[in-house]
Amino acid sequence: MEAVRIRLEQIHKTFLHRIKGEVTAVKNVSLEVEPGEFLTLLGPSGCGKTTTLRMIAGFERPDRGRIFIGEEDVTDLMANRRNIGFVFQNYALFPHLSVFENVAYGLKVQGKNSADIDREVAKVLELVGLTAYERQFPHQLSGGEQQRVALARAVVIEPRVLLFDEPLSNLDAKLRVYMRGEIRRLQKALAITAVYVTHDQEEAMAISDHIAVMNEGRIVQIGTAEELYLRPEDAFVAQFIGRINALPAKVLTVADGTVTLSLFGRDFRLTAPPDGLAAGRMIQVFIRPEAVTLTRETGGDLLRGIVVERTFLGEKADYLLEMDGGRLSATAYDPLRHGTFAVGETVGVGIESGIIHILKGEEE
Amino acid sequence: MPDAVAALNPSDRLRKTLRDPLLLSILIILWALLALFIVYPLASLLIRTFTDEGKFSLAGVWGILADPMQRQALWNSLLLGTLVGLCGTVLGFLFAYTAVRTNLSKGWAFFLDAAVILPLISPPFTTAIAMIFSFGPRGLITYDLLGLTSVSVYGLPSTLFSETITFFPIAYLTLKAILAGIDPTVEDMAFSLGSSRWRVFRTVTLPLAVPGIANAFLLLFAASLADFATPLILAGNSFPVLPTQAYLQITGMFDLKGGAVLSFVLLVPAFAVFLLQRFWVSRKYYVMITGKAGAKTEIKSVRPWMRHLLLAVCLLISVSILYFYVLLFYASIVKAFGADFTITWKHYHVVFTEGLQAIRDTLIIAGIGMPLGGIYSVVVGYVVCKKDFVSRRTMEIVSMINYSLPGTIVGIAYLLVFNDPPLMLAGTATIIIACYVFRYGPTGIRTTVAILQQIDPSIEEASSSLGANSGTTFRRITLPLILPAFFAGLGVVFIRSMTAISATIFLISINWTLITVRILEKMTELELGVAAAFSILVVLIVFIVIGAISLFLRLFRQPGAPDMANILGG
Ligand SMILES: Nc1ncnc2c1ncn2[C@@H]1O[C@H](COP(=O)(O)OP(=O)(O)OP(=O)(O)O)[C@@H](O)[C@H]1O
Ligand SMILES: [Mg+2]
Repeated sequence: MEAVRIRLEQIHKTFLHRIKGEVTAVKNVSLEVEPGEFLTLLGPSGCGKTTTLRMIAGFERPDRGRIFIGEEDVTDLMANRRNIGFVFQNYALFPHLSVFENVAYGLKVQGKNSADIDREVAKVLELVGLTAYERQFPHQLSGGEQQRVALARAVVIEPRVLLFDEPLSNLDAKLRVYMRGEIRRLQKALAITAVYVTHDQEEAMAISDHIAVMNEGRIVQIGTAEELYLRPEDAFVAQFIGRINALPAKVLTVADGTVTLSLFGRDFRLTAPPDGLAAGRMIQVFIRPEAVTLTRETGGDLLRGIVVERTFLGEKADYLLEMDGGRLSATAYDPLRHGTFAVGETVGVGIESGIIHILKGEEE
Repeated sequence: MPDAVAALNPSDRLRKTLRDPLLLSILIILWALLALFIVYPLASLLIRTFTDEGKFSLAGVWGILADPMQRQALWNSLLLGTLVGLCGTVLGFLFAYTAVRTNLSKGWAFFLDAAVILPLISPPFTTAIAMIFSFGPRGLITYDLLGLTSVSVYGLPSTLFSETITFFPIAYLTLKAILAGIDPTVEDMAFSLGSSRWRVFRTVTLPLAVPGIANAFLLLFAASLADFATPLILAGNSFPVLPTQAYLQITGMFDLKGGAVLSFVLLVPAFAVFLLQRFWVSRKYYVMITGKAGAKTEIKSVRPWMRHLLLAVCLLISVSILYFYVLLFYASIVKAFGADFTITWKHYHVVFTEGLQAIRDTLIIAGIGMPLGGIYSVVVGYVVCKKDFVSRRTMEIVSMINYSLPGTIVGIAYLLVFNDPPLMLAGTATIIIACYVFRYGPTGIRTTVAILQQIDPSIEEASSSLGANSGTTFRRITLPLILPAFFAGLGVVFIRSMTAISATIFLISINWTLITVRILEKMTELELGVAAAFSILVVLIVFIVIGAISLFLRLFRQPGAPDMANILGG
């Protein structure tokens, strides 16, 4: 089947909460998922990811806005008419049906004959590696196996789109990494458009073509993992994708296309600053810990910092440094080769102006 | 009842309801049934009470309240209800505490449970008959053992005793659930802080159990208030109570209006209990029972001698309950209890010849009511719990009304509206079946809701995402999962069809009669042996059916499915 496009146009959803009153879960979200694309909705708890996904599935109806699957406006279509595959966080397997019956369910509903059902179920179970499990019941399976049954059940009906709501959050860390590879492989093999919800940024970065970062009911930025990491558009994205230092800096001069800042008692010249900066104002700037270089020599151009905390993590070590005018987190990789620094040690801190981000959102 | 569905805006809700034709038609049918069999009869009762020749009037109510005899009946009903509530709750607590806190062995626990369940599944009059056999003028204890001749078995004490024995199991089941929900480590904790055992009990256990105790009291109060059978036999002329007065008003004096007004007077305290339970007790309740049942600790809150004392008391009471039933059986196989103890089957002969029609009628009514009750409870429980539609709350409350009301009120209300065209249903089996279904279906409704609340809503969404419409989802997914509730619902309707009398005594006719009514007749004709034989027969049938249902429940064991015993608890 041809992969299809999913399009959300200005969708909006408010819930009437018994205690909190009106809660706006999704605010004017527009989104386009290309045919065959794997898009992830990423954001903190309560930001509206699940609600958005459930509206695509047809479990909730938006108050305003339209939803298209392919060329079809599905806004008023019930979930059972949308031809989607949905994988739930808790799998939602039918507890009274065997693995075979669970997977066959959607085909039976379509009214297929039993020979076709047998064949297609067998094919999908092989695809997810559960051929021997046909007769087992959900409570007799491990979490990972249940997950795969849920996956098989969703794809066997050859849905137009696949939707996942935190499907891996109940698995242990190792299995999570393995299963996300499986999901991605399956999605590619079926060449099917997929929307995936998670709050785990590493998972999102590993699995997706594009990530839509959500906060408080809105999509803040959409991009590839790399774009979001390298060029976050606002402070929220910068802090949510990876880790980042937020530091106070003073604007010294603003001239055509450049800005001079004072940070840790040193002047930095940045090109292409955002609009609206004025000389003399304090602003917040952002530096990724892993972009800072640490050296044993402390001379020359380098800033100086004293190590106040050290966390050794194997392939890297995190440091908290006391600088002249504030604290800074820094990460040094490959301690095998470069050695580590001790608490109390004075180190050289290299910050190039290229690694300093000025972002909208968190000005002081 | 907490909700499994989220609140929608009213307009959304309406749209959603209208978009689902199946749901819409089910709702229309349900509301039509509820209106016909619950709202309309009750409304008629109220109208009849408060009108006089078409005009609003309080004359009827004043007339009753002015009559010292009826005032006495009201007062007696309240007094009896309060006393039964107190005694039954104390007894129930004792049993529950013993069951939960004294490390009973399996055998003992089973024995206590069995003895306690017996009164719950017995036809009415059972303890009353046994009381007469024991304490009557020729009673086994009063006459044969103590040689007393001038004691009267009739009056408040014997009614109180008999009702307490009959109803305390409700308190036991309620309190057992509550006490089991209290983590024993909390008690251990208080104990380890240096409190004495008594102090722990007084300052920790008892306060935690207060909502349960209040609930048990209210349940017993309501049960006693509604009880018609026991006072009819045991209360005697000196101790009139409302349900029997209403019955006598109608059957003895053919005064339908008087009966209606009397049952309205009965409705007031019953309604007060309903409100208290719904809006006060149930609120306190939740906080309590969410606590997970505690880990198995060596329970220190009971001293050994205390344990023995508790066990002894429970044993004594269980044995006296069993004694009642043995006595009943004995009475059913001797010529004339108290006078001629020759073994005979003649009472059973009467039961299976003269009584055959009643047996057949009762079984037909119970047999038809059973599946209908099961379906009714499952459907109402399902839509009330799972569907968000306009009037959902109202439906939930209305469906509980006939269950909460004393049977006498329901019976008289039905008599009022189904006695004239166009709804000339009096005298048919239909009306008796409807009475049972709408009166006892709510137990199944509650069970359905309890099970549904444990089923994750995403299971149904999964079905929907796979292309199933709501009908298919219900049939293929939800229905199999709530099968236990279906069995519970039909089981309770069956049992009550075999044992209830207070409402249906107004609805029987020459064409359709009931075993329970025959028992009453035989008692008034002083053919106690036959009455006893009938009772034994009912107990046996009910036992067999309960056994079968328990077996089913075990086969279809689902998360959240309750035991049969808990379903009977009320
Ligand atoms: N059915 C509902 N009724 C009322 N409020 C709701 C409902 N569903 C969601 N909300 C509210 O809408 C907001 C967004 O919820 P949503 O489930 O979409 O968040 P989420 O991003 O999926 O969070 P999480 O990562 O915790 O799953 C929350 O504030 C939530 O409380
Ligand atoms: Mg979510």
